[in-house]
Amino acid sequence: MIGIVVVSHSRALADAAVGLAAEMVAEDKRPVIAVAAGLDATTFGTDAMAVSEALGAADSPDGVLVLLDLGSAVLSAEMALEFVDPELAARVRLTSAPLVEGLVAAVVTASTDASLDAVAAEAERGLAGKQDHLGVATTETAPVVEADRTVELVVGNEHGLHARPAARLVGLVNGFDAVVALTDLDTGKGPVDAGSLSMVATLNAQQGHRLRVGASGQQAAEALAAVEELAKQNFGDGFPELAPAGSQPIGSAPGGSGLDVAIGPAVLAGAQIELGDYVAGDNELGRLDDALATAGDQLRELRDLHGDIFAAHLALLGDRKVLDDVRGSIAAGASAPAAWQQVYGALATAFEGLDDEYQRERAQDVRAVRDRVLRLLVGVTEKAPTEGILVVPELDAATAATLDATRIAGIAVRAAGTTGHGVIVARSRGIPLITGIGNVEVPPGAVVSFDARTGSFEVAPDEDRVRATITEREGERSIAIEDADRPATTRDGRTIDVLVNVGVIQDAVDARGADGSGLVRTEVLFGDRRTAPTVDEQVDAFRAIAQALGGKPITIRTWDIGGDKPLPFLPQDREANPFLGERGLRVFRRRPELLRDQLEAVRRTAAETPVHVMFPMVTTADEVAWALQELGPRDGLEVGIMVEVPAAALRVGSLATELDFVSIGTNDLTQYTTAADRTNAAVAPLADGLDPAVLQLIDHVVRNAGVRVAVCGDLASDPQAAVLLAALGVTELSAVGPQVPLVKAQLRQADLGRVDTAAVLAARDAAQVRGLL
Amino acid sequence: MGVDSFVSWLRDVAVSLHDNAAYLTELDSAIGDADHGANMDRGFQAVVGVLDETSFDSADELLKKAGMTLVSKVGGASGPLYGTFFLRFGTALAGADLTPETIGKGLHAGVEGVLARGKAELGDKTMYDAWAPALEAYDAAVAGGSDLGTALTAAAEAAAKGRDATIPLVARKGRASYLGERSAGHQDPGATSTTLILESAARTLP
Repeated sequence: MIGIVVVSHSRALADAAVGLAAEMVAEDKRPVIAVAAGLDATTFGTDAMAVSEALGAADSPDGVLVLLDLGSAVLSAEMALEFVDPELAARVRLTSAPLVEGLVAAVVTASTDASLDAVAAEAERGLAGKQDHLGVATTETAPVVEADRTVELVVGNEHGLHARPAARLVGLVNGFDAVVALTDLDTGKGPVDAGSLSMVATLNAQQGHRLRVGASGQQAAEALAAVEELAKQNFGDGFPELAPAGSQPIGSAPGGSGLDVAIGPAVLAGAQIELGDYVAGDNELGRLDDALATAGDQLRELRDLHGDIFAAHLALLGDRKVLDDVRGSIAAGASAPAAWQQVYGALATAFEGLDDEYQRERAQDVRAVRDRVLRLLVGVTEKAPTEGILVVPELDAATAATLDATRIAGIAVRAAGTTGHGVIVARSRGIPLITGIGNVEVPPGAVVSFDARTGSFEVAPDEDRVRATITEREGERSIAIEDADRPATTRDGRTIDVLVNVGVIQDAVDARGADGSGLVRTEVLFGDRRTAPTVDEQVDAFRAIAQALGGKPITIRTWDIGGDKPLPFLPQDREANPFLGERGLRVFRRRPELLRDQLEAVRRTAAETPVHVMFPMVTTADEVAWALQELGPRDGLEVGIMVEVPAAALRVGSLATELDFVSIGTNDLTQYTTAADRTNAAVAPLADGLDPAVLQLIDHVVRNAGVRVAVCGDLASDPQAAVLLAALGVTELSAVGPQVPLVKAQLRQADLGRVDTAAVLAARDAAQVRGLL
Repeated sequence: MGVDSFVSWLRDVAVSLHDNAAYLTELDSAIGDADHGANMDRGFQAVVGVLDETSFDSADELLKKAGMTLVSKVGGASGPLYGTFFLRFGTALAGADLTPETIGKGLHAGVEGVLARGKAELGDKTMYDAWAPALEAYDAAVAGGSDLGTALTAAAEAAAKGRDATIPLVARKGRASYLGERSAGHQDPGATSTTLILESAARTLP
């Protein structure tokens, strides 16, 4: 490793610059840095003798780089070269690099055992990051060679690829015999040399940015693998924003009662906070700062417990631009809460106006932050939805995932729609839930009850009657659970396989009575990963699921991403219509690598345990043929496709000729059939899985597929609907875990021959279908 | 003449620079970092300290030691510059009889060292603007058969003219160059100290 000498007029300046640079690199990796600065600790000046001594101290067979400030520093350093052994002098390079930036770059680069030439070149580029940032035209760009292979990854670091993580990346990359280049796909900047700190700095890659990493050379593959591994560890920054609880995928928190009936005091969330009694003082800015500080503490605590969503809230809380607006408004005479409410309210409205679903979700976040601070300002204590029935205008996935399900009795959602994310999450956690209660007036704390089976929501109900119903349902449920392992054989002797949908391994562990898994959501299983899982890791996960289910068959669905389900390690371009864009299998026709790995994992798992594999979002026979070709030899594997696209349902006969089964995803089939976005409360009621049009398509699939037909959508989790599906000829239902025993119990009670399927298919609308069930 | 003349010279330079320290610093404060007087004073007081403690057998050893002392003690750019001057001067005198010619060669060697170190050109508003005419005048005087005293006096007078001629110049080297056009109208401190050193030589060396 080369040595470094710092020559400066000022001892303090040199020591500080060295300190700044040294913190970039672990102590054991640091080059020797010798300082020759000042005539003493406080007298400015340079001393050629001191420089020559420093050269001796930093001497290395690999050479010595000298960074200098100005004037006599240069002259003294040159002079020093005349004093030292000519052999040493020949190994010394004086650089015109800027002292501070050059030293930082030099120390980082030197720590990678780079040559004197490379370190000197890097030091001389030390200003590039700053020049780029400040918009000073730089003519120099690092020569970047064409990459032999590339990977994509996402910057997970809270502050982006800032100096320290960038330094780790540079250090890592320079350890390989490879040229590695980075391109920020979000900004289009690059490619830049990943072995150059200053060039990496010019990327200014922020959190969430997708980077394409290209490598060429002898160790290109090794370098890329190492970079991926480093990225997985947040470039060494750790995961402060992900505490253990928060890092678990949605759905793994403790579950609720699993009933469809609940009673308790109403806990209102999302209600308007009244500012009427607020009295403005003469220090509104101070009050605001106090409230912000407290809110920050609360959010940090929540973030540590529940993860990312609250990290986003923290970011919103600290948005300087928005805070400036609030402060400006206060300075102009508004009270702190009025200013806060106005500015954050306007911001939320602005988000809501965006047509991107992800952005609309941010509006919920903005409102949550707005209300948190408002409560602090007006002195309303937060009614954390702990015990009772949570009444919300809409249910977001974050709330559903983070509720304490052991204490919350149930959730009543004003908006209609049964397939929104929050609803799905709450249901999979077994939390009693009703949707579409509308604008019923609910006084806070009033006892309310609901029965999702009958669709009733009552304020001040006859508590004894409700409790009796609960007892009755609990009895049903315990019997169902007791009988869970018995097959679901109907009264007329048809046995339906009832399986469990698995998003995390715990779903398989918790499942009672499941005849296997009809849907392993691989994109959820590995959804918390920042980099793609290896084949081995996938095999391990699949094996664990199969083992938890006692070796019963598991149906692995290949990566189903896109639309509303982005994967961190396979970022996609923003699409105007993501649900009509590159989703599911479509994604991999252009980029098959991840799919190939997964199919390899599927084949290896299939060698140990019964495995079915299915491909999501299939539309054409061509896609089926391509998928089968990618899969290769099928051996004992059963292969199927998801039927979610109406086109696929209509021509299922021609799609299924070489398949073993098809599995209907009723959620997507419903939204595509009704052209209604299930996440848009305004039209969500249209997206009803029991719409006769959807049922007609299911009926069509059963009649024309020529292979086994399964349903793995939400409809299969509804015991009544399950009976209807079985009556239509579906032989396999995959439900959320808590519903499996109930679906089985309901099927055992049912006589499929007595279900009037003709009337159901001819019904006018979903409501009429419900009446017939 | 012998080593004692050079000891006298260096002691006299120390006195002259000490007396003119405030003046030099004032000149430097106009176009530089306001430390030239203090730096040169510190450097030559250190040289005096060496002279007090050590006796030298030859002028070349003395001058080299003075050069090394200046290198370490002056601090500013004049440290390596004057340090180089005295080092090269001394080196050129090694083993030579002390005559106007050999001293002339020594002065040339020293100034060449200054040029190599500072990379200045005539008119850059540096000490070289005093050194160059001084050497020319010295050479002319020696060529014309003058003795050392006359030659050094001619050199000092030429240096003073060169020094004065720096006033309208725009600095192109050193800290003053950061001032650009604003450096014009001020006398160069380096050319001033060079003149003081040569005036001292004319007084003490012969």
